[in-house]
Amino acid sequence: MKIPLLVSTGILLVALLPCQECRALSKSPAPAPGALHQPDFFQQQQRQQQQQQQQTLPVLLRMGEEYFLRLGNLHKRPVGSFSASSSSTSHLQPEASASNFFRAAVQQLQQLPERSPGDREDGEAEGEAVEREKRSEEPPISLDLTFHLLREVLEMARAEQLAQQAHSNRKLMEIIGK
Amino acid sequence: MPSAFQFQCHLVLIFLAASKGETRYLEVRDAGENDPFLLLSEDLKRELSAGQIYRRSLREFLWCSGCIDMLSIEGQFTFTANQPQLHCATFFIGEPEELITIHYDFVNIDCQGGDFLKVFDGWILKGEKFPSSLDHPLSTSQRYVDFCESGNIQRSIRSSQNVAMIFFRIQLPGNGFTVTVKKISNLFPCNVISQTPSGRFTMVIPHQHRNCSFSIIYPVVIKISDLILGHLNGLFLKKKPSASCAGVGDFVELLGGAGLDPSKMFPLADLCHSFHGSAQMKIGCDNTVLRMVSSGKHINRVTFEYHQLDLQEAETRKENSIEEFCFPSI
Repeated sequence: MKIPLLVSTGILLVALLPCQECRALSKSPAPAPGALHQPDFFQQQQRQQQQQQQQTLPVLLRMGEEYFLRLGNLHKRPVGSFSASSSSTSHLQPEASASNFFRAAVQQLQQLPERSPGDREDGEAEGEAVEREKRSEEPPISLDLTFHLLREVLEMARAEQLAQQAHSNRKLMEIIGK
Repeated sequence: MPSAFQFQCHLVLIFLAASKGETRYLEVRDAGENDPFLLLSEDLKRELSAGQIYRRSLREFLWCSGCIDMLSIEGQFTFTANQPQLHCATFFIGEPEELITIHYDFVNIDCQGGDFLKVFDGWILKGEKFPSSLDHPLSTSQRYVDFCESGNIQRSIRSSQNVAMIFFRIQLPGNGFTVTVKKISNLFPCNVISQTPSGRFTMVIPHQHRNCSFSIIYPVVIKISDLILGHLNGLFLKKKPSASCAGVGDFVELLGGAGLDPSKMFPLADLCHSFHGSAQMKIGCDNTVLRMVSSGKHINRVTFEYHQLDLQEAETRKENSIEEFCFPSI
């Protein structure tokens, strides 16, 4: 009688003690901070190449990420509405430094040591990274749409959804009524 | 005796599973609440759903020099250019707890001639992205999936949140494409754009080091009714709350602005202590975002309601209104 009671008490104490590592019963695997969450958005080959490039060219990819942020965030501080004129003038500033940045990035790339067993692979990976940097000079594609127009099309989509729901409900009632 | 001990062990194991598991944070809806089909028998379901896929052509809703459309339902959608279309986009939006999958059924565009068809994971407007670069696992370039580069290999693309969009350019009349859009459920929605100016939502971040934003692209009155930051786990006692939010790992912030990107919006309020009961704020901005920052050490949850703010009413009764930070919409 005493032994089972002691065992139960011991199990309760273990359960209630702090255990940061005990994630066996948690549902979602907590990703490590900064790690890329890889859903079906990427194919297997690109993911492997990305990982390989991450291992071989960490500096280049980090600088690439920062570069994209600079192009996307044309205003460092929030200043309210986004006007076309301000966006065009802001474009001129990063462009002047963009070419210098790219040259510096390529120099960094050339200075990185190559591994002997995967020399050819590294060469191809480096070539792809350089091509990606060239594409990174283009600003991200987006529309200059106002919120007013966005709300208009959103309400049209909502009306379409309600109409389709009404149609489904009508069919459902017809079937149930038989 | 042995059977009694076994019974005790089973009870202990059940208690362990119940206390460590996160199932209590899930809200299971009644079967008939949203989907009446769940109440039907299998025969009736089959009869109703046979050949019921929704189909239509994408609209050439003309705006400036391009065309736009928005889709919030599943189905098969076709675009065929009647004239050269150089700046076109289609926005996809689902319910907060849905993810969007886009499958290329048929694509006939001239990639070599300058046509393109790209899927973007999120929404991007005037260079501002939702979710922001800080809150999305992929870099900006990775969020664009170009059919001309990878279309033969990757025919299906899934979004990371309830919004996605495609950009396309088709120069030759008669060319076009067909896509099938489906929705899949997302257990813990993180980044959300609300389809409607009013609603209610509970955001849960269970032991994840990530930041999640809920965006409402309308001026709203937002009422936070329940905020739980951290989880009282067994014998642990919470630290005494400090006067300010500085240095606190997990908190909720309310942002307002005129753009889509939460990282460029004005912080209007910070909430870093759990509370029950409502806290209301009127925000007269074009975009209102509730953003939860989570360290990953705790299970954080916030429940809130919102409805559209009548700007005339807000002018007459100035209570907790933060209109002066926002520029009037065009």
